[in-house]
Amino acid sequence: MAASEHHTEGMWVFPAPEAVTGDMAEKAAGMPKAIARALVVTGILFGLGIAGFVVRALDDGFGAHGPWGYYAAIFMFLFMVTGAAPLAAVAFRFTKSHWRRPLSRVSELFAALGVLNVVMFIPLMIVLPSIKNPEIGVEELEIRRSIWFETPIGAPLAWDFLGILFLAICSLAILWLSAMPDMAEGRLSATGFRRRLYSLLAGRWYGTKRQWTIQKVGLGLLGAFYFMTLVFVQFTVASDYAMSLVAGWKDSIFPPLFTLTSFQSSLGLILITLFIMRRWGGYEQYIGVSAFWSASKILLGLTLLWAYHTFAFLITFWYGRLEIEQNVLKYFFFEAYGGAFAANLFFSFILPFLILLWNPVRKTDWGPTLAGLSALSGAFIFNLKTFVGAFNAGDVYAFFFEFVPGPTWPDLWDVFMVIGGLGAAAFIYLAATRLFPILSVWETKEGAKYQKMDTLVRGRYLVLAKPE
Amino acid sequence: MQEGRVLPARQINADLLRSILNSPKWFWITVALLAVFVLGAFSAAGFLINRGYGVTGLNNQVLWGFFITNFVFWIGISHAGVMLSAILRLSKAEWRRPATRAAEVLTVFSLMTAMLMPLIHTGRPWRTLYWIYTLPFVPYDFARGIWPNVRSPLVWDPSAVYTYLTSSILFVLIALIPDFAVLRDRTTGLSHRIYSVLALGWQGNARQWKLQIIAGVLLSALILPVFVSVHSIVSWDFGMAVSVKSWHSTVFAPYFVVGAVHSGVSAVVFVMILLRWCYGWQDYIRLEHIDSLGRLLIVVATGWFYFFVMEVIFGFYGMESDELAVRQMQFMEEPWNLWMIFFVGLTYFLPVALWLTRSWRRNLWLMSIACISVNIGMWLERFLIIVPAQARKQVFTFNWYTYAPSIVEIMIIVGTFAMVTMLMLLLSRVVPLIPLYDIKEGDILKTQVQVGRRTVPATFRED
Repeated sequence: MAASEHHTEGMWVFPAPEAVTGDMAEKAAGMPKAIARALVVTGILFGLGIAGFVVRALDDGFGAHGPWGYYAAIFMFLFMVTGAAPLAAVAFRFTKSHWRRPLSRVSELFAALGVLNVVMFIPLMIVLPSIKNPEIGVEELEIRRSIWFETPIGAPLAWDFLGILFLAICSLAILWLSAMPDMAEGRLSATGFRRRLYSLLAGRWYGTKRQWTIQKVGLGLLGAFYFMTLVFVQFTVASDYAMSLVAGWKDSIFPPLFTLTSFQSSLGLILITLFIMRRWGGYEQYIGVSAFWSASKILLGLTLLWAYHTFAFLITFWYGRLEIEQNVLKYFFFEAYGGAFAANLFFSFILPFLILLWNPVRKTDWGPTLAGLSALSGAFIFNLKTFVGAFNAGDVYAFFFEFVPGPTWPDLWDVFMVIGGLGAAAFIYLAATRLFPILSVWETKEGAKYQKMDTLVRGRYLVLAKPE
Repeated sequence: MQEGRVLPARQINADLLRSILNSPKWFWITVALLAVFVLGAFSAAGFLINRGYGVTGLNNQVLWGFFITNFVFWIGISHAGVMLSAILRLSKAEWRRPATRAAEVLTVFSLMTAMLMPLIHTGRPWRTLYWIYTLPFVPYDFARGIWPNVRSPLVWDPSAVYTYLTSSILFVLIALIPDFAVLRDRTTGLSHRIYSVLALGWQGNARQWKLQIIAGVLLSALILPVFVSVHSIVSWDFGMAVSVKSWHSTVFAPYFVVGAVHSGVSAVVFVMILLRWCYGWQDYIRLEHIDSLGRLLIVVATGWFYFFVMEVIFGFYGMESDELAVRQMQFMEEPWNLWMIFFVGLTYFLPVALWLTRSWRRNLWLMSIACISVNIGMWLERFLIIVPAQARKQVFTFNWYTYAPSIVEIMIIVGTFAMVTMLMLLLSRVVPLIPLYDIKEGDILKTQVQVGRRTVPATFRED
């Protein structure tokens, strides 16, 4: 759409509903060279990660948790970001936001990484020290502090694992249910393997009114379940693999901060993906700047909330002057991991805030993307600092965190595992985009029907319909 | 989602100015009844100041009781204004329009009422002057070299609350200017002169509208940090106290803010339902608005419940005996455990159950019950945070105490509810509690889109 007095150029797009299906099918059928190359590169990184993991296992075994700090950090980063990503589709569909349409499927496709999360979590189950102290030493607790007070059967490992497994299944169910109408259309035009896959996934979808109602209700219910489970699992996993490993660290805002960082960074990742699709993927006529502009306001809100939660934590510990709290501050924020915290603060708050503060910048595709990239980097550092620190904080059965150790630097195998984790995630996501259309066809067509330009007084304005 | 019909501007003026231009019969009777309670509260406060703290149920251990509970409660209610007006204005939510004015006004009155509570609580209100500054001609504290401790949240607190009160009043006044001009043109004599001054020469030209809109948006954005800081600082009155177990919790700030929004928005919904009943504003406060607010409240309530669970779990997490004593009192000992069940049920489970279905959200009786339930629950929440923690703050059990409010405290608390209601009623006599221009603007922006055989309601949008 051309710029007018009331609308910025490219803000809203008006795809022709009848042309969407064919265009998408054409895009999904081919394999652009850039994607093929990216698959090879990320595949190599994935291989390096596996190599790093094998060497680490052979060198250090699974007896002590300390050497697995970087592995835990990369797992937590992937779990944090990809676990929260499908929520964007769920939440903005719930609020009936029109601008969500281009990013719905982009966010739902991160469900494919649920399987990676489940597999990567297994070694962490083995290295986590037991809640009951196997050998009670001088000034040690019989049971270390944990959210599993009376250590119910299987706690914490089985519950954490079941939670992550359920999230993976639930997010895949959301992806399947949401993509069903697109699969039904795709089975008519696709050939070979894709045709068989689409026919299988589409089931008996014919687009009757009843089927659309069931799909809408199903997505709502699954979304609500997914949201509640995600928040709960993030609470248990973040507590078990960070706070519980630092003797005496008691911090009720840490799980909400972890969840908030996950929302912020996952929105950042979605914006980056959307930007790549718009600029280089040939989807410019389907992705308006309005998606970036609206998402940027949410990202700004999340950025401010991140700073607020961090400040609420810091001021309470700083003001309290308790020795344990001062030691936690020294370790994670001011001394051992002081540099990491400064970088975390810069990327998670200062830089995105300075970018998103300006409306003209928010009204571009690059501004919110840059802020999203910054938030994603901030979340990466947040996880490195928190989980590497927690895995190397000394005796987990001690009364409290008495001596502040120095930072733990990565060795070559840690670096391999970190880049391997990132490579594996990118590899799986790219592979998923070859199977599913990266834009939700039915939502794009629906959106095109609900918007038009019209005259009000003397100006031309966008009209957006909101059905009940 | 548009269910109402588009009304002519003349009818909107007539309907929404009805509360000002023609007083209904019940109006002055209700005001008089409320004034009795308010007078009773002021008499009780005077009695307390005259006789001293012995007339309250407070004691050596439990020094903060009903007054501070009520202070936190009214500060919480004040969060409705910004939540509904500023945030929904920034997010361009169309259904905000009839709710904004009532929310902003409720913010101002609840803040004013909240500020009375610490004053009464001091027992000697004139001495609160020393909290703010010390002067040479105020001999006692100056002679001793006692200065306000600027590092204390008790000093940050009045600063934040006064800033919020000032900005909220400004926020209301800016939004009222076009409506003052309408009233100026429809009144005579003294009223006309007062409205003329308040309208600030408003003629409704394009430049004035532009400035008014910019001022509204800027104030909306600027008031947000104040909004968050107020209840955060109130929470730090508690959170910074290491010696009182269960208060020193990092999650207190967001927990208090979300709780405040929960109770504040619920209070606004109840006020809107009352306005609809009292003034017959069915065409303006429609079921779709109440429905949308109900959905918003489900999200807010669930967020609040999450923070509540975090606060409780990490209360037990440390396994410290003195904190466990507080939790034991809250969860195991009668009558506190019963209050705890009531509080959680009334704040979360009952209202959310009533908000889950569309037809129940659109039933005004059920919505009223849900909103009142939230506010009773939220009042109890503050009481259960404040009192048990102090009653068990000592290490030795022979120092443990309990608390029962006296009739003086009860009279003052009841009086504050009567005062806010009375002030809201009195204000409805002088300003429209639904913004005229906002409703008219909403009507202008309404349109429709034809999708197949269906006509779907739509709205004109600007970037």
